[in-house]
Amino acid sequence: MKRIFGAAVIAAISLGIATAKELKLLNVSYDPTRELYQDFNQAFTKYWGAKTGDKVTINQSHGGSGKQARSVIDGLQADVVTLALGYDIDAIAEKGKLLPTDWQKRLPNNSSPYTSTVLFLVRKGNPKGIKEWDDLVKPGVTIVTPNPKTSGGARWNYLAAWGYALKKNNNDETKAREFVAALFKHVKVQDTGARAATTTFVRSGIGDVLIAWENEAILSIKELGKNDFEMVTPSISILAEPPVAWVDKVVNRHGTRTVAEEYLKYLYTPEGQEIAAKHYYRPRSEAVFQKYSKTFPELKLFTIDEVFGGWQKAQKTHFSDGGVFDQIQRANR
Amino acid sequence: MNSYWLFGAVIILVLQSSISTGEAQDANTLEIIKQLQKRIDDLEKKVKSLEAGKPAETPGIDTPSKQRIEALDQKVKILERNRELEIEAAEAKAKEAPHIKLGAEGFSFASADRNFAIGLKGVLQVDSRTFLDDGGIAGNDSILLRRARPVLEGTVYRDFDFLFVPDFAGSSPQIFDAYVNYRYNPALQLRAGKFKSPIGLEQLMADRDTFFNERSLVTALVPNRDLGIDLHGELFESAISYDAGIFNGIGDGRNSSNFDFDDNKAFEGRLFFQPFKATANQALQGVGFGVAGSYENMQGNSATGLPASTGGTLPGFVTDGQQQFFAYNPGSNAVVTASGEHWRLSPQAYYYWGPFGFLAEYIISNQKVSRSVTGPFASASLDNRAWEITGSWVLTGEDATYKTLIPLRPFKPNQGDWGAFQLVARYAELDVDNDAFPLFSNPGTSASSAHAFSVGLNWFLNRNILVKTSFSHTDFSGGGGSGSTAPAAVTRQDENVFFTRIQLAF
Repeated sequence: MKRIFGAAVIAAISLGIATAKELKLLNVSYDPTRELYQDFNQAFTKYWGAKTGDKVTINQSHGGSGKQARSVIDGLQADVVTLALGYDIDAIAEKGKLLPTDWQKRLPNNSSPYTSTVLFLVRKGNPKGIKEWDDLVKPGVTIVTPNPKTSGGARWNYLAAWGYALKKNNNDETKAREFVAALFKHVKVQDTGARAATTTFVRSGIGDVLIAWENEAILSIKELGKNDFEMVTPSISILAEPPVAWVDKVVNRHGTRTVAEEYLKYLYTPEGQEIAAKHYYRPRSEAVFQKYSKTFPELKLFTIDEVFGGWQKAQKTHFSDGGVFDQIQRANR
Repeated sequence: MNSYWLFGAVIILVLQSSISTGEAQDANTLEIIKQLQKRIDDLEKKVKSLEAGKPAETPGIDTPSKQRIEALDQKVKILERNRELEIEAAEAKAKEAPHIKLGAEGFSFASADRNFAIGLKGVLQVDSRTFLDDGGIAGNDSILLRRARPVLEGTVYRDFDFLFVPDFAGSSPQIFDAYVNYRYNPALQLRAGKFKSPIGLEQLMADRDTFFNERSLVTALVPNRDLGIDLHGELFESAISYDAGIFNGIGDGRNSSNFDFDDNKAFEGRLFFQPFKATANQALQGVGFGVAGSYENMQGNSATGLPASTGGTLPGFVTDGQQQFFAYNPGSNAVVTASGEHWRLSPQAYYYWGPFGFLAEYIISNQKVSRSVTGPFASASLDNRAWEITGSWVLTGEDATYKTLIPLRPFKPNQGDWGAFQLVARYAELDVDNDAFPLFSNPGTSASSAHAFSVGLNWFLNRNILVKTSFSHTDFSGGGGSGSTAPAAVTRQDENVFFTRIQLAF
């Protein structure tokens, strides 16, 4: 009996040794998610090793969301993409043909495992008295926000401002446009990505207010000094839903489909949601959100679908070449 | 009485005066206290500011001035940051911009990531040949356009190279090279199309880099360009290079037409060693040696399988002066064709060290031929052999090379720079199998062997312009009978020919 048991153990170990695999994933993400995915990758590696015995190494690539999408289309071998906006993954599906166009239906919550919003970061004491979107266009206020042509975060910022003006002015598009045009007159520096804009505001000391991802604003205060910055929550902002997807053609080629899918599904687990919340992303899980509710200020949130009719429409109207943003920029010069 | 009043008044005045002086002193003290208090307040503020890590307020600067300074500071920071962003954007744009290059190596442009590239090069050779004591052969003294080849080369999707080379120098345009090469890595590459067969060492030298106007007698026994697929590569930092290919198969010295003349294929291969190429030993770096060979079993009978007919009207071999000294029997009365096995074997070597260069190769071309139409009908395997040895010496300090010699001081006579000069000398022999005579070739007109020596001076004005001049002497065994055309007219006397060449290559 002992012999049989011993043989069985040896066989099991041998089988384990024989089937354990070393896998590699590349997660191509946008600018401010570095810290989130550093922690998440560690947790997933541990989880996956315990579950399957496989060793998975996850590499990260970060940059402006639009720029990252272009890199994937041009051949960057991303097993998964975790970008700032759905439009960028749509582009990978449509131009790169690397995943199906209905990719957003494959995971819960339109494939957005966490959300965020757009807030203001101001200098300690809020010397310019900024409390609401309207305060951004007061004389003498200098705004820092990245360039919407290159940064997904900047597009969220732009649309948040537009949505605010629409709601304030009974959906008057002309007034919304005037407001956003006035706002961009106060923008003196447009970095290519959200993290670079944060650095410009925080490290270089440029500007009175940074329009920022909520997670980026909280991180700046926590990491860089409570004595230097304050977060200002406007009455209303946009619900930013950064999506995730596995890239079918790449995972098929690499043989990493299973681990890539499970990697993204792990974002929806209590562990994944907790890591997101710890990095100041609003978790989808109500339980985890409640646990971290003090982190996230209350404000009214509107979605891109209800105000702009979705990303495709918003992109075409506002951010395509010659679109509203380009027109505003030309007029402001 | 008045004096009392006066005294009293004085006393009152003095008292009043002393009282008012005391009040003034109190006010003064208060003022001093106030000032001290203010200074204490200022100092406290400074300490607090310092404790909070903020710069202390500069005394003497009023609030409007301070605001102006802060505004100016912001403007400077904004300008600096925008300047940085502009530089970043310019750098990013430069990375995405295609690369355009125009220079001594031709014109080329490539995509930003260099995965796609296209280049235009070219070779133009204007030659003259002057024969001495040639027995009055008409039309051989000539100025001719030897090569006029635009070269289109490039890369697509990083790993696929292509080359397209037509030649406009002959009586009609021809495609010389047209191939696609896939580079998995330097050690494993696959080439398909029309290109030089991997046999002859001198044949594989680029046309712009040959020592003399014409290649040696050895090259008459190796295939020129053929259609095929070739697996090739370089191993161990080019210490070993190899070729293994399947080709249509062509006669000695021939250029393939763009289709095959039979169904069988030729197998060709070459192994070449440069064992010291990557070492630090300069005296041995330029050692190279190897062996090449081919095999084909030709189907049926075809004159196309025989040697090239350049310089004459029949398949045969030509001299350095491109005159035919050996010909197979004419087709009208005793048709000689290639049939059956044809194999070649060629050991080869070179050595380059400093200004000195040396190249040697040997070849056996064993070909089965048949005679038909008129008897006696016969067939034979002919062992034709050739060898050569070539030496070169660069007089102006440049290193000799198997590839393109680049002058250290390009031609600028007003600055005392004259380019590079190279002396070259060569000896070569070609021996036709004795069994070729008389059934397959007429011993009265064709020579059974040719022996040639050549000397020359090459003047490299710069990387692109080359002037060559050389003299070549060839004598023959056999032949020399009656007849006004080649090969009899050629073999009747030794061949002495002066060559010159003006070459533009980029």
